Amino acid sequence: MLTLYHWEPNANSGKPMLALAEKGVPYESHYLDLLNFDQHKPDYLRINPDGTIPALVHGDRVLVESTPMMEYIDEAFEGPPLRPADPKARWRMRWWMRFFDAYFAPSLSMIGWSVFVGPAVRHRDRRELEGAIERIPLESRRIAWRKAMFNEFSAEELTESRRRAAFGTDALEKHLSEHEWIAGESYSLGDINGFNLGYALPLSQPDRCNDQRTPHIMEWLRRIYERPATKATWAKGRTQMVERVKLLERKG
Amino acid sequence: MLELYHSEPNLYFLKPLVALEEARVPFTSRYFDPASFEQYSPRFPQNTESLLNLEREGPVLVDGGTVLTSSFFILEYIVEANPAANLLPADPLGRYRARAWGQFNALQLAPGVCALGCARYLAAALKALDQAQLRARIERLEPKERRAAWAAVIDGSYDEPLLAKIRERLGVPVKRIESALAERRWLAGETYSIADIDAFALLAPLPDLAPELVSERVTPRITEFLRAVRARPAVEKALAHARTPNPQRAFVPGAEPSRWG
Repeated sequence: MLTLYHWEPNANSGKPMLALAEKGVPYESHYLDLLNFDQHKPDYLRINPDGTIPALVHGDRVLVESTPMMEYIDEAFEGPPLRPADPKARWRMRWWMRFFDAYFAPSLSMIGWSVFVGPAVRHRDRRELEGAIERIPLESRRIAWRKAMFNEFSAEELTESRRRAAFGTDALEKHLSEHEWIAGESYSLGDINGFNLGYALPLSQPDRCNDQRTPHIMEWLRRIYERPATKATWAKGRTQMVERVKLLERKG
Repeated sequence: MLELYHSEPNLYFLKPLVALEEARVPFTSRYFDPASFEQYSPRFPQNTESLLNLEREGPVLVDGGTVLTSSFFILEYIVEANPAANLLPADPLGRYRARAWGQFNALQLAPGVCALGCARYLAAALKALDQAQLRARIERLEPKERRAAWAAVIDGSYDEPLLAKIRERLGVPVKRIESALAERRWLAGETYSIADIDAFALLAPLPDLAPELVSERVTPRITEFLRAVRARPAVEKALAHARTPNPQRAFVPGAEPSRWG
């Protein structure tokens, strides 16, 4: 019995969704609405007391860290391997996944939360929002939500996030000009991880990420978008994000 | 023959030293002093990833022509290149736990321990150097992240209110590890793994840096864990690479804390 608790097919939720789809593993999908704070409600806190998404429940095992969760999926189930066999290529895959998770994603998500997540909930009653923050288990997540809800990002930290988004985009372009895929020669969890935050780059960083300036990123994103598993995963989306990924449709 | 570039056997540098000794993999030790900034020299081994300069203050493993950085991923590499060493559980759940701890500790534990160690020991050590030369060298570091990390140590940015906040936040990972050790003998399961090597290297300085967080009285299980790992012959051999009397006081500016505040 395999159950995945997730939000939209992007970012952390999208990692196990896309990995399971690539492996061809069926699962019971539990959609949690992040903007309705479903992830902080008692029903879900019984599964993941940290109140973070996603969570994978496999029998009596509960997994909550999305990147190691992908490696678990690759090891525990049959299907095409999603990690290279060569330890050196695996090292490269993991290095880039950490770069995505710890460097690139926090900067892109700070921008994303300031322009999308924050405005999506900000109009609600102040007391309702304060109550929602109170129910968040982790202090780090309370801080993030408070900043997004009440638009408390400083100009300085947003500027720094934009600088890092630019630095990360250039680093990724250079890497993909030297390697076909993140780990090297084969499609891997590194590409899944990178696609989940990179798919929106042409839209959020149009001056930085486009066919002229970053042709390798654009081609890489399109190749991943065209995979049947990606199409099937994004069909599970329920918000306007699903429209954004269609930007990767080849013209003509 | 593998080559390991490392500094004093503490924190990030201790991890691959222990893992190589546990796996009984012969290697050539290449000792360097991070405060001399030789890790930024073009003669230092580098790869596409390390040239981004986001993590120059860490160990580097060279295997033939391949350069590997980032301490937990070096541990995974050692394990995968030497499966007979048995430093990862055999079952996928145990492996998941080991990797989840590696990630959690890198992001939640390491930045705080590093900051406390830099404030207490590296700041003092840097004062002994020629200040004008040191500042000029730090000014030339790229990108901004590494420059800021070193500048914070010499500028006294770690004032008492900030250090108090860092100590408070370290309480979260410390409590989590203490509870995990109540459930299982080792972090990933019933067998000793790279998750334990990783956690040992990051926790070992805390009884000195923050005794209110880690001590026999408040964290009996972590204390017992530190004692058990410290008693392993591989750890003894790794610590023998020290060139100073107190390697547990050798710190480098490490990974930065979360930018979300």
